[in-house]
Amino acid sequence: MKRTLIVLAVLLVAAALCGCAQNNNPPSSPTPTTTATTPSTGKTIIIIGDGATFPWPQINKWIDVYTKEHPNVKIEYNGGGSGKGQSDFANGVVDFAGSDPPLTKLVWDRLVNHPPAEGKDPLQFPDIIGAVVVCYNVPGVKHLRLDGPTIAEIFMGKIQYWDDPAIKTLNPGVNLPHKEIIVVHRSDASGTTDIFTTYLCLVSPEWNSTIGAGKSVNWPVDKMGRGVAGEGNPGVVNILKTTPYSICYTELSYAIKESLSVVAIKNKDGYFVLPNATTIKAAATHVSSHIAPPNAGYKENLRQLLNAPGKDSYPIVAFSHLLVWKHYSDPAKGKAVHDFIKWVLTQGQNDKYIVTGYVGLPKSLTQKLLSEAEI
Amino acid sequence: MVDSLKVRLFKEKLFLIGIAVLTISTVLPLFHIMFSIAANGIPVLLKGGWDFITGTLAPPGGGLGGIGPAIVGTFILTVLASLMGLPVAVLTGIYAAEYPNSLIGRATKTLLMVMMEFPTILVGLFVMDIVVLPMGSYSAIAGALSLAIVMMPYVAVYTDEALRNIPPKYREGAFALGLTRFKVVFRVLIGLARKGIMTGILIGIAKVAGETAPLLFTAGGATRVYFAGLNRPVGAIPLLIYQLVQQPYTNYHEIAWGASLLLMLIFLAIFLPIRLSLKEVKL
Repeated sequence: MKRTLIVLAVLLVAAALCGCAQNNNPPSSPTPTTTATTPSTGKTIIIIGDGATFPWPQINKWIDVYTKEHPNVKIEYNGGGSGKGQSDFANGVVDFAGSDPPLTKLVWDRLVNHPPAEGKDPLQFPDIIGAVVVCYNVPGVKHLRLDGPTIAEIFMGKIQYWDDPAIKTLNPGVNLPHKEIIVVHRSDASGTTDIFTTYLCLVSPEWNSTIGAGKSVNWPVDKMGRGVAGEGNPGVVNILKTTPYSICYTELSYAIKESLSVVAIKNKDGYFVLPNATTIKAAATHVSSHIAPPNAGYKENLRQLLNAPGKDSYPIVAFSHLLVWKHYSDPAKGKAVHDFIKWVLTQGQNDKYIVTGYVGLPKSLTQKLLSEAEI
Repeated sequence: MVDSLKVRLFKEKLFLIGIAVLTISTVLPLFHIMFSIAANGIPVLLKGGWDFITGTLAPPGGGLGGIGPAIVGTFILTVLASLMGLPVAVLTGIYAAEYPNSLIGRATKTLLMVMMEFPTILVGLFVMDIVVLPMGSYSAIAGALSLAIVMMPYVAVYTDEALRNIPPKYREGAFALGLTRFKVVFRVLIGLARKGIMTGILIGIAKVAGETAPLLFTAGGATRVYFAGLNRPVGAIPLLIYQLVQQPYTNYHEIAWGASLLLMLIFLAIFLPIRLSLKEVKL
């Protein structure tokens, strides 16, 4: 009994000492530790990234292939969200970041004028294309065609039933039921919502003036009792699957994985297109000229990238972006990051390295970006 | 007369049944969770084998790979957080129990109760501000510090309660033998309260081993690098599960089930043996 108590007391004291030592560590360690890790350049280089969750699977795929070819480089990418990626990058906490929306002028200026010790001169690249798709759950209906204004009216609540004349004229011969349309949307702030509502603003002046675009908007259908909100893409998709006569918007990869029925949308040139690699790449090719050069990423404007012209173009495509520094304070790490980025924009865009649900960039675009970046 | 007895017996039975039903419905979710984790996780562990424990993350749609870095990270974070948090917490608990009527003693107790309910995500943000940003990197130290802050109030409150539950006669007896206050507390009272204190410590450790929110802004996460130093990012099993379940890939969901099962096994492995081996002190 006594002995166990003494052992306990000794352990407690020992633990207390260790605890104090550890507790003192954080404030005193930054300078020695950060300089201590830099000289180890000949060995393994560890690159840390954080940011958008949308490209997380794709970036993991690239990392998997790339680090197998380059065993001396280890790369981590954590999907903490675009906002977190941007601020972590600005604070120098990570070496590169992923962000779905291009940087705003405000953030860009901060990166240029107040770079962290980690590096300077920011560069922004699109790395992968995704699409926002409109999915529906109407028993018995296999193919559905809609145009922009009709989609806007459905999500606004103005079209109440599936057999509304507006939907019927677009789908001759399809047996549409007289059932109320349930609109499923995101409950959380989301880049997917931003892209989708921006598209609706472009195709519907009424949507533009009454609701607008943003990461979260006021859905008029909620007040009518026909709107349901889901958390994240998985939440939205689950509601759609369990709610007959509902409609939602989500990312292409979720629609593919869950085998959802996808709406063919009428594009700017008047053709109905389904989202797939061909139609998404076609849209990307048509808007390539609106992609900002890497050293002026803030110039990119989402509105110019949506509703692309062209016979085959799918209208709601979205580019996800990577952020890196042109100059890193640790040149070895800088070279490793730049090598990885160059690989992503060249071999990484090879179809065999692209995960289902994503679409690689057109070659003309990647070549333009690489020559402009000068890395 | 007989009738009223029957009615009373019937009432008693009814009440017992009611309590039993309520008890079962309280524990049922626990068993349901354990069952579904086991049912979904065991096939993954069998399929993945040893590689699942030691390997690194698979690409989307490409097999199971492993969650080695997350396991290593959870282990490092838990040990480090215990080293930081337990001594402070136990001593705080002893202080609150020893000086229950002083202003600082009462304030400590109240603040501990507040800390216990404090949103853990804010703890993470706080640590990000004071450790991650100055250091310029996510790190094991930052993750462990924020876990330690989450752990401390539980351990301290349990220690305090355990000490307060000792009848005053033991304290009086110890003082009567001429022991100093330090010896009374550390030689006599802590020994008597060891089961309660140990329970607090275990609950604290088990709680932080499964925490996600305090790590979101501190640990950084790792799926390929096992360990690169205490000042570099580390992974954690809950963090990995959180990331994987948001993805639409079935193999990521399978990995998440396997990881959940491992987390549960680690939790049971820490908790059960120590909890069972501790004998109740008869007062």
